[in-house]
Amino acid sequence: MKKILVVFVVLLIISTFAVSAEGKQEKGPVTLTFWYPAGEITATSMPFRDGSKPWAEFEAANNCKIDVVAIDYETMKQKLLTALAGGKAPDIAMIDGSWMGAFVKENGLVQLPSQYAKEWLDGVSPDTKALSDWGGGKMYGYPSWGEDAYALTWNVDMFREAGLPPYQAPKYLDEFREYSKKLAIREGNDFKRVGYAIRHVGHPHGIVDKWDWLAVSAGVKYVDPPTVLVGGKSVIDIPPVRKAFQGAHDMIYVDKSTSLNFPDPRDCLLKGLAAMQISELVSIQVRQPKEAPNLKWAFSPPPAAEKGGKPAVHISAWNYSVFSPSKHKELALKAIRWFNNKDNDFKMAKKYESTPRWMANYNSEPFASDPYVKQFKSLLPYGQPYPKNLALPGIMEALGSAIQKVLHDEATVEKAFAEAQKKADAAIEATK
Amino acid sequence: MQDTFLTRARKERWFYAYLFISPVLIFFGLFRVYPALQTLVFSFFKVEIVARRYSWVGLKNFALLLQDDSFIRAIKNTFIYALYIVFISGFLGLVLASMFNSKMKLGAFFKAIYFIPYITSTVAAAVVWGYLYDPKFGLFNMLLRLVGLPTRGWTASSRDALMCIVIFSIWKSLGYNMVIFIAGLQNIPDMIYEAATIDGAGPVTKFFRITIPMIVPTIFFVIIYNTILSLKVFDQVFVLTAGGPAEASTVVVLQIYNQAFLNYRFGYASAEAFVLFVSVMLITVVQYWISRRMEI
Amino acid sequence: MKVQVLKRTGEISATSIAYLLLFAFGVLMVLPFYWMIVASLQIPENLVSFPPKWWPQPPTTEHYMDAMAKAPFLLYYRNSLIVAIISVGCSVIFGLFAGYAFAIYRFPLQNLFFILILSTLMVPIQVTSVSLYILMARLGWIDTFPGILAPNFASAFAVFFMRQTIKGMPGDLIDAARIDGAGEVRIVTTIVAPLVKSVIATVTLILFIDSWNDFLWPVIIINSKYLRTITVGIAFFKDPYHISFGPLMAATSIATIPMIVIYLLLQRFVIKGIATTGLKF
Repeated sequence: MKKILVVFVVLLIISTFAVSAEGKQEKGPVTLTFWYPAGEITATSMPFRDGSKPWAEFEAANNCKIDVVAIDYETMKQKLLTALAGGKAPDIAMIDGSWMGAFVKENGLVQLPSQYAKEWLDGVSPDTKALSDWGGGKMYGYPSWGEDAYALTWNVDMFREAGLPPYQAPKYLDEFREYSKKLAIREGNDFKRVGYAIRHVGHPHGIVDKWDWLAVSAGVKYVDPPTVLVGGKSVIDIPPVRKAFQGAHDMIYVDKSTSLNFPDPRDCLLKGLAAMQISELVSIQVRQPKEAPNLKWAFSPPPAAEKGGKPAVHISAWNYSVFSPSKHKELALKAIRWFNNKDNDFKMAKKYESTPRWMANYNSEPFASDPYVKQFKSLLPYGQPYPKNLALPGIMEALGSAIQKVLHDEATVEKAFAEAQKKADAAIEATK
Repeated sequence: MQDTFLTRARKERWFYAYLFISPVLIFFGLFRVYPALQTLVFSFFKVEIVARRYSWVGLKNFALLLQDDSFIRAIKNTFIYALYIVFISGFLGLVLASMFNSKMKLGAFFKAIYFIPYITSTVAAAVVWGYLYDPKFGLFNMLLRLVGLPTRGWTASSRDALMCIVIFSIWKSLGYNMVIFIAGLQNIPDMIYEAATIDGAGPVTKFFRITIPMIVPTIFFVIIYNTILSLKVFDQVFVLTAGGPAEASTVVVLQIYNQAFLNYRFGYASAEAFVLFVSVMLITVVQYWISRRMEI
Repeated sequence: MKVQVLKRTGEISATSIAYLLLFAFGVLMVLPFYWMIVASLQIPENLVSFPPKWWPQPPTTEHYMDAMAKAPFLLYYRNSLIVAIISVGCSVIFGLFAGYAFAIYRFPLQNLFFILILSTLMVPIQVTSVSLYILMARLGWIDTFPGILAPNFASAFAVFFMRQTIKGMPGDLIDAARIDGAGEVRIVTTIVAPLVKSVIATVTLILFIDSWNDFLWPVIIINSKYLRTITVGIAFFKDPYHISFGPLMAATSIATIPMIVIYLLLQRFVIKGIATTGLKF
């Protein structure tokens, strides 16, 4: 008994000291809370991670403080909802574009004043405009710089070693499979290197992001027509889609050119454990100079599902939005407007060598002649954002788990996609 | 009317009785009983929590449950998980405990060692195991490679994922089960063993003929305790696999969590929680009934 | 003579098998912790090298620096301690008084209340979390200490054990105190409490371990980084998109080693306490 008491008291004293050393949160006249996803999930959160203080100028000019909080990505959507319900939501958050439907449905996001929306939609590039507009010029947030375009990225030296043309990407799935076979290096029962690293773990949501290229190219329509907020029809369970994912499945189990043991594609490419991968281009662009300075890489649109088919480039963005329980809506809106203005867009995109959003910036140096930006633009004709439909989270959940089941050989494509179709239809029905 | 001394004293006692139990009753009433009843009510509603809209849907949530492959998978997985934990962790615990019985040297040391996983936080331990299970850099695959065996996907493979969680949980709970069995075994008088030894019984015979029959109540407790704990499993699944890949390791509580806090279907999640409640209650009732009949 | 020798060798081999088994499982029990500590001290190249390095050569503290820079572990410790001390303190004190009331008094609805309290054991937080969350939202307790503590201000387990123990106490002592004119509150604090102190200690310890390791409810109710308890902090320290095991193992070491050390100091008491409460339960 005494022993325990002594231990308790000692711990308490230590922790109290420790905390006073931590320093308390300073309180300015007005404090806005800002949440962003922690870790490497997106490169566009870099300014909040690398020690630069991107809000400092705004804080000084408006005599306020912006409290920057990193939230774990996997639970961030949940945290936002629960915070909304409890009236404790952050004033501003950086949120995944595909979550927005769910928040809009719960009246959780503040609609941008029409003047803000108009100046934005008039000034930004067409692809950014497509990401921003919720129909009729309505906006619920500003898409971030460095928009996520999902491209095929590959290791140029590995292509050369394997006797493949180093700067020429496979154009369609079957060719892609051939490439992957040539690029894989097996080591007994294991791989020293996979031809293509696939993402197959985590929430079904993320799986859809990573496989959108194949799904959409093969004919998946998340919601048709893509412009309705409620209702519509989902097209998932059709023969070309089943065939495409049978092909993806066969890369693992028939070709044996890839393995489920390499679950983080971007990391695998950067570490030299994979020759090809498909994910957000901006991540490789921002991470490569730091993490793999010697890596020579190139990118192109992902392969099409069929020879001669049209490839699909998934386009999405993280968004700066204001949440409705905020007590300082005006100021918060002002803050995100300032954060995404032409000057800041230029500064950020330049600093992180990524793509700006404002047309004026696109057309000025260094972006106008930047090879990366130029090539990035070549992806855009194939680009397609997710539809802005309230049932989107449910549809993605359905499709994502079907893809996951196929990749893990847990269900046949027939069974998995039939089930996904059923679930997606139910999700649309539930929002009506 | 005049109070007698007796009733006055009794009333005073009543006052103190209610005073003393009121904190517990108030806190339990508010934060345990009320939410439990609320769960039952919500399971018949569509709950939109941010908009504060509650719409009556009758038995629809339960009807949907029956067709929800994810939930059915979760029930199946939870059941498999419980079976493994009860039988393997329980049986191993008993075997190890019976080895302690003869007052052995280092007994206290071993006990202390076996108990470390139990007192460690499940989350922290699962994070460490996540590293051991890592297909590329984890210790398990490195060991397999060392001895020339094929490596596995562990938590990254839908075939191994549930077993990864089972193995982790056996490691985590073995010490507890063992300690409970040791306590149970200490109640068996040494005389019985001595008599059996004189009759020429070997250790295995003694184990099955004496040890097991003598500690039936303890075995019963361990089974019930581990079953109920298994039905509530969440932390290690959340950390190790998040229910994946492809729902291979999803469990009931994770489904409740996902439906409520990821998909915002609070009514539906309440219906799932209600199913969990009924299962826990059934087991408790069975326990009560058997312990009555067996007079344990 | 011969028979006896045979028997003895048989016994010896049985004991050595027992030792061998216990030793083998013992190694398996500590291996994860060993590997955690080794990895946390290993230089990054050695973390990915094959064959595995069983000893940090040369050892480095860089992962600890990294981990401490990335997350305020001391703050997490403090939060866990605040939660544990308040919830365990309340549960034990309320449990003692309620246990006394149920053991000593006879009053209307006594059985109903007792069964009601015990029945909450049947309704785990996993079942009620959704409704409890909605209630917290209404009270404005989301992301606050009261919110984290709410379901743990009282413990049915504590009430039950206190009642069982106090029931087994000789009643004369209480009667004697009453005759001396001691009030009921004083009887509980000065006479009953010292008599059941070993049970109080056991219950405190078990509740403390539970509270310290609690995860589901904190992860639901906590949003801001200033309130994270150690379990929530650890779970979110992991970055699934860029796992670096060195800092991760340093973080788990920071989170687990102090508790393991405290446990090893108190291990006899801990194990005895859990064995007895487990069996009676």
